[in-house]
Amino acid sequence: MNTRYTAVRYTAYALELLLLFVLQSTPRLLPEILGGKPLLLLPAALTIAFLEDSIPAMFFGLAGGVLLDFGYSDNVGYYAFLLTIICFVLSLIFRDYMVVSFLNATAFTAAITSVLMCVYFLFFFIFAGRENSLIYFVQHYISRIIFTILCGMPLYLLNKFIYRNLRDV
Amino acid sequence: MKEFFSDKSVKILAATLAVIIVVAILGATGNPWVSSAFNFLTKGLSQVTAAASDAASNKTYDELKEENERLKKEAADLRAQLVDYYDLKDENARLWKYYQIKKAHTDYELMPASVIRRDTSEEFYSFTIDVGTASGIEEQDPVITANGLIGFVSSVNAASAKVTTILSPDLKAGALSKRTKDTGVVSGNVLYTDKNMTALTKIDANATLKKGDIIVTSGIGGVYPADLIIGEVESIEYDEYDATKYAVVRSYEDIKSVTDVVVLTDFKNKGEVRISKKSTGAD
Repeated sequence: MNTRYTAVRYTAYALELLLLFVLQSTPRLLPEILGGKPLLLLPAALTIAFLEDSIPAMFFGLAGGVLLDFGYSDNVGYYAFLLTIICFVLSLIFRDYMVVSFLNATAFTAAITSVLMCVYFLFFFIFAGRENSLIYFVQHYISRIIFTILCGMPLYLLNKFIYRNLRDV
Repeated sequence: MKEFFSDKSVKILAATLAVIIVVAILGATGNPWVSSAFNFLTKGLSQVTAAASDAASNKTYDELKEENERLKKEAADLRAQLVDYYDLKDENARLWKYYQIKKAHTDYELMPASVIRRDTSEEFYSFTIDVGTASGIEEQDPVITANGLIGFVSSVNAASAKVTTILSPDLKAGALSKRTKDTGVVSGNVLYTDKNMTALTKIDANATLKKGDIIVTSGIGGVYPADLIIGEVESIEYDEYDATKYAVVRSYEDIKSVTDVVVLTDFKNKGEVRISKKSTGAD
């Protein structure tokens, strides 16, 4: 089997995740719109999972999650754990039961992103007992969730492009 | 179901999750090797990207005539010199500020640092700096600029450290008004974070603070030295639930976009808890 294209494709995904991490974490690079900046790595890992087999999807979910976690807290945790599982399961679902399309990908990205970020907020703001958490949610989190979902669309198209053009025949 | 769990890919998933859990537990129990390794790997990248906006560009002039080439080369050389000049000027201005701090406080041990990464989440504008334990940085070390207190080192590894700012509710610092000597606890408040302001809470009901009063650290807890400027009072507000009074304090430094800071690694009375009649227990 010719695995050359697969290796190049995985390298492209890895570089994409690294680039998105840099974009996210470099001071003053991404503009803050309506109080929120998108978490680019989250939809990137999800859209890779729609297209790839379960094991590579899982490892790219892990990579995206680790980078997200280090951006937050200097330790592996929430996103690494959940994205590893979610990307693995998403890959199986899309392989066996769903058609990979722009609409499906956007719907799944929106649902998973909203749930993941809301649960994160629940644990690390509400349960942590931070004052005025709901104000923070309204001022920052809603816009962050929306922008993250919107960023999922071009990232899906990008990853679809990579998948189609760097696939072993 | 049995078939599902005997699948090879599910076994790999389970093994990966087990590794994540072990690493997370190690990290949570204070073992810094994972974050140290990560920061070591990404430090160079972060430094390059953080400096990207200041980078100068060079152009080629292959198609141009010889004389034109020479002139343009000279122009490029002059531009490069100008960039060097501005870099040196900026560095000189920065070092001059630190010199002023050092001159005013001879007991301070200072370690200049640059911001290499902003938090992914931008929650309360915390950031990562390019110095760590290898440079003598410890957890809880105060982080300042020439304009006053910025925050404290909340976690540190060999090559970098994370700074929690005074805009965060996680920071609690004993503080007092220079004019009235009213004491309180400075801590971030979500309502004011975006406006580069923090809050002086737990102030006495009879406190006579007013707009413009300068707020400084009290130094009582031994974590922050006394008389570090935090900011000035913007307004006096009342908590909507218990009607206690607090002061909204505006930092003199634009914490959201600060790029160069100084870590206070040592100072007189560091770690010494001083007893005060008006002590608030914070700091």
